[in-house]
Amino acid sequence: MTYAMARPSSRGVGAAKPTGRGARRKAGIALAMTAVAALALTGCSTTAGADTGPADKTTIRFTYATGDETWNSVVEGVVDAFNEQSDTATVQLDPLPAGSDYATAVKTMDATGNWPALIDMRDTLTYINAGKLAPIPESVTSLLDKNVYGESSDGNVYVVPTTALNGEIGINIVYDKAYFTKHKLEVPETYDDFIDLMDEIKSNGDVPLATAAGEVWPSDQLWKPLAAPVFAEWGDEGGFWNAVQAGEASIDDLRKPLEELKRITDTYVLDGWQSTADAQTTTLLVNGQAVMATSSAGLGRLLDINKVDPDFEAGLFIIPDEDGNIDVLKNAVNGDTATGIAISSQAAEDKKEYQAAVDFLEFYFSVDTANLIEKLGMIAPNIADSDKVKRNTSIPGADDFFGLLENPNLNWYSNEPKLATFSSFNTFFRQTRIEMQDGQTTIDQAIEKAQAEFEKIAAAG
Amino acid sequence: MSDQEGQTAAVATAVRLAGDGPLKPLEEPRGTGGDRPDADIAPVRVVSRRFRRQRWGMFMFILPALVVYLVMVVLPSLQSLQLSLTDWDGVNSSYDYIGLRNYEEILGSGRFWNAVRNTLLLGLGSAVIINVISLVVALLLDKLNRGQGFFRTVVYLPALVSGFIAATIWKYMLNFNFGSVNTLLRDLGLGDVAQDWLGDSDLVVGVLLFIVCFTLGGNTTLIYLANLQSVPQELVEAARIDGASNAKVFRYVTWPMLAGAVTVNMTLAVIAGWTIFDQVMVLTSGGPGFVSETMAFFIYKVGFGEYRAGYGSAAAIVLFIVVIVSTVLANRYMRKREIQA
Repeated sequence: MTYAMARPSSRGVGAAKPTGRGARRKAGIALAMTAVAALALTGCSTTAGADTGPADKTTIRFTYATGDETWNSVVEGVVDAFNEQSDTATVQLDPLPAGSDYATAVKTMDATGNWPALIDMRDTLTYINAGKLAPIPESVTSLLDKNVYGESSDGNVYVVPTTALNGEIGINIVYDKAYFTKHKLEVPETYDDFIDLMDEIKSNGDVPLATAAGEVWPSDQLWKPLAAPVFAEWGDEGGFWNAVQAGEASIDDLRKPLEELKRITDTYVLDGWQSTADAQTTTLLVNGQAVMATSSAGLGRLLDINKVDPDFEAGLFIIPDEDGNIDVLKNAVNGDTATGIAISSQAAEDKKEYQAAVDFLEFYFSVDTANLIEKLGMIAPNIADSDKVKRNTSIPGADDFFGLLENPNLNWYSNEPKLATFSSFNTFFRQTRIEMQDGQTTIDQAIEKAQAEFEKIAAAG
Repeated sequence: MSDQEGQTAAVATAVRLAGDGPLKPLEEPRGTGGDRPDADIAPVRVVSRRFRRQRWGMFMFILPALVVYLVMVVLPSLQSLQLSLTDWDGVNSSYDYIGLRNYEEILGSGRFWNAVRNTLLLGLGSAVIINVISLVVALLLDKLNRGQGFFRTVVYLPALVSGFIAATIWKYMLNFNFGSVNTLLRDLGLGDVAQDWLGDSDLVVGVLLFIVCFTLGGNTTLIYLANLQSVPQELVEAARIDGASNAKVFRYVTWPMLAGAVTVNMTLAVIAGWTIFDQVMVLTSGGPGFVSETMAFFIYKVGFGEYRAGYGSAAAIVLFIVVIVSTVLANRYMRKREIQA
């Protein structure tokens, strides 16, 4: 965690008016107290500003959204490794605490002209259109697999992936393997199998599934696999959301997955999901309060579980569709839903800062760093030399994850919205679904409300 | 002598005794130079020049704060009026003027009216509950002969903790699966009473109301206590000699004397209620769904989280109008009551 430098106030000095010996003494005392306070405050700061490193090093900030423990340790590990080997730059971590609102934090940075050099970017198109991001040079992109980054409409690349672009394959159901073995349960091969599995767990007197909606966004973890078959149908037609925008599809096409979502929530989900935070589902699983839990951290969630309870046997799977297909969204490499690391335009105004940011990215996409990322528990980004990367299969349950990538029923689909303000709708749609799951509105009302909001946002551009 | 006259006399005495108050130079020449007709005029001119200089000095002292206030509060507030007529996303430097479309959309939005309803409930509800409880607590504290300082501190302590931190503590305590409240209930065999306090749409606004009252009660209690302690004892004693019961003493002596404090406390509590944000942000994020959104949270959510700064500005203008109108009306009513008292 970093803290901003404390800025000593000079008001204490100005308040004393030196008109006599006593006044001068008072002013002296005030000055001394201000100096002591300033030193004390500076001492309180756990990390220093740009002037703490060696004089010839450029210090830049890397703002990132904290998440599960694995991701946090990967960022810290890579930055430490970079700082240790670099003679020219120091990267300072600037984490956005869990639960903080990413959009607000970035807008505040923007409003105060306090952009970091490197940023873990979301709502990407909004910031590209506003000219807030700088192009990433070929010296960085040439280190990556060509399929994992994309040029913007102006021909520049603005965002590069932080981790392997395995789409939404990390949106999984993690489960208690020992429980499955004891009760002779199998990983479901179709959607009906999944429902039967939950019925069987329920008949044992246990709670089948823990999920979370306390922070709103984790509600996607149950929704997306259920909606994936509908999205996949539109994958070759330019994507579902673009079809809705063009009037060729509508939110009503999502009625079936919404009904499934409502049924699963009412019948199989552990009570209290409305206020449960994402990280708490690990505890609920390990404590035996639920046999399965939703997750969007893939391998990282398995590592978290292993840290919490090394004896816990965890496995994972993805909810299949009725035909047994495992429909998984491909990553967007462009557009509003593309995510990854970006360099800010503000940093690009200073050649040294920009160069330091580029140096870090070149380090990030090296083979050594890829191996470090794997060792720390995450799948390394798809670099050009990926065949040289040593994969980490030591995490219990990791075989399940890598097995998904090899699964013959795996069906990749695209659903990249062209709407620059899609993230506005996405937040609204999540809340509308939660409202419906909670029984405050009917499915009809939720569909009508979401459709109206989509049309309004699309009309506004 | 009425209490008001008594207070005025006391203030005048205090100023005379202090000797260097701003009134002293104006009053002293009038008293001492009464036998010379022009003696009154010259010193007054000198004094008024001096007073004007002092006034400039005073103004210079508040100027830095005034400039900061104008630049950081007044100007952005005025700018939000302009932005409310645009489609600005809060990031891009370009935007279009769209007339009153944001206002039309707000007034036709069920989500907005739900936020208004919650705000009214939390604003008025917390104002009434806080004032009633605080008055009762202040009356109890006023009667204490021993340990008043200790209990006064205990009552005020929650007000020292920021709303954000207090809400975070409550969030842990009220967690459905791991929170101490539900754990205690389950351990006591009252598992059926355990609720998802922050996730049940029927309960959540009531829980927010409780937490808001708990946090804001300290200041209100202290204001009542200070006013209770300034109620002239001779009036209370006179009423008792006339045979008034405790209830009648409160109804006809103490309560009218507290009229000013009620006005101040109700106004402050209503304004605090209108602008409730931290508790909602930390405890529920406006959920589940949209059910616990307040106007302040709605403005934040659409303006920042949904990149609709123009729309959020329009909502802020509506909130401003609601706060001003309701505060003026409530104040007018309570001032009338003060005059009657």
